[in-house]
Amino acid sequence: MSRIDEITRYIVAEFAPDIRADELDADYDLLDNGVVDSLGLLRLIGWLGERYDLPVDDIDLAPEQFRSVRAVDAFVESALVKGPAL
Amino acid sequence: MIKWTDEQRTLRAAAAELGAVVGKDHLERDATGTFSEQGWALVRESGLLGLPFGAEYGGLDADLLTTMYVLEGLGESCRDGGFPFSVTTHVVSTGVPLQRFGSDELKQRYLPGVCSGSAIGAHAISEPDAGSDMMAMRTTAVLDGDDYVLSGSKSFVSNGPIADTFMVYARTGKSGAPDAITTFLVERDSPGLHVGQPMGKMGLKTSPLSELFLDGVRVPTSRVVGKVGAGFLVLDHVMKWEILLSFVVNLGEMEHRLAECVRHARSRKQFGRPIGSYQSVSNKLVDMRIGVETSRKWLYDTAEKLVARKAVTTDIAITKLVVSEANVASALAAVQVFGGYGYMTEYGVEKDVRNAVAGTIYSGTTEIQRQRVAAMMGLG
Repeated sequence: MSRIDEITRYIVAEFAPDIRADELDADYDLLDNGVVDSLGLLRLIGWLGERYDLPVDDIDLAPEQFRSVRAVDAFVESALVKGPAL
Repeated sequence: MIKWTDEQRTLRAAAAELGAVVGKDHLERDATGTFSEQGWALVRESGLLGLPFGAEYGGLDADLLTTMYVLEGLGESCRDGGFPFSVTTHVVSTGVPLQRFGSDELKQRYLPGVCSGSAIGAHAISEPDAGSDMMAMRTTAVLDGDDYVLSGSKSFVSNGPIADTFMVYARTGKSGAPDAITTFLVERDSPGLHVGQPMGKMGLKTSPLSELFLDGVRVPTSRVVGKVGAGFLVLDHVMKWEILLSFVVNLGEMEHRLAECVRHARSRKQFGRPIGSYQSVSNKLVDMRIGVETSRKWLYDTAEKLVARKAVTTDIAITKLVVSEANVASALAAVQVFGGYGYMTEYGVEKDVRNAVAGTIYSGTTEIQRQRVAAMMGLG
């Protein structure tokens, strides 16, 4: 399973259980459309940190990085490449 | 178990010495709700305010665990519970977000004042209709040229009456959205900023608190702390530090209280025996000890996890809940152990109950911490 599929499955399972993973467009705005709220954002960040071993408390976080499945995937890619922001 | 170095023990001893001096006239200042200006001058001299900040800004470059250990010493020795609360509020409200999210320009301009204590810090988050539900805040920040224009009001601003700089959290986006809040550093003398009168409260009376009114306050875009829309994440980081630093002070207070209660229970005799020999009293002391040990474990384990760059959202919520509730239980038990003396103002035991209750409310109430843990379990 690709990483973007894995992220999609997690978001659907945790925040949008009424839809199927293949129904969530990778560019769908998760924040503006209320799929992920503020506490949900913390949950998502926590999951990403554990799943991909990201130093989430060291990375310069911004909500834009979690606006869509594609943005989340790009965030993970960037964090894995760059490592922690010191 | 953490093995502290001689250097860490020396720092803690210095903080304990300072706390004992500051706390000397705590009863009088609690009665009048007076912040210790003399204490602030002493804490400025000690360098304590710059503990976790970079040496290039005048700080001591201490790590999180060392900072906590030293503040635990301050809590253990200082009988004025409001004073350490003002100290930790100062450190976490402005210094912590500046260090983590501030631009180089902001750090160079404001962190030296945080470290030296020349510019007292506060943060303005809660509002009359938005306490724990910060995403419902109404204070707005609207971009106008190179400035944001802030309008609204804030309530329960600890250090408000004495603060020089405020971290103001305001709405820049769609209400309720996680990217709706932005953090601004606002100077006290900004036109349109009005600090309310000190407000009376149940406890922590020596740590002044007020409302804050923002009437079209212009703040340059260069004073945005973190990214626009990242205020919730800034606050999440600040709350982790606030909970660890403020409540490790409570741990020190609980340690002192337990020692005093044990001493009293061993020396106070009723019906020919020390009261501590009665199981109904000794059980209270054992529960107080369990509260101390449980609080210590949660505080330092969570801090170690945070330092190891692990996600601690659930741990922080549990830590805050456990320590604040243990502190209330400990303070109430102390009143009972001291009996009539515990109830009298002049012995300073009842004051701890009033102070401890605050801990179940600020930094997110006990109820919101449970809600947060539930949400992290996928239940909310």
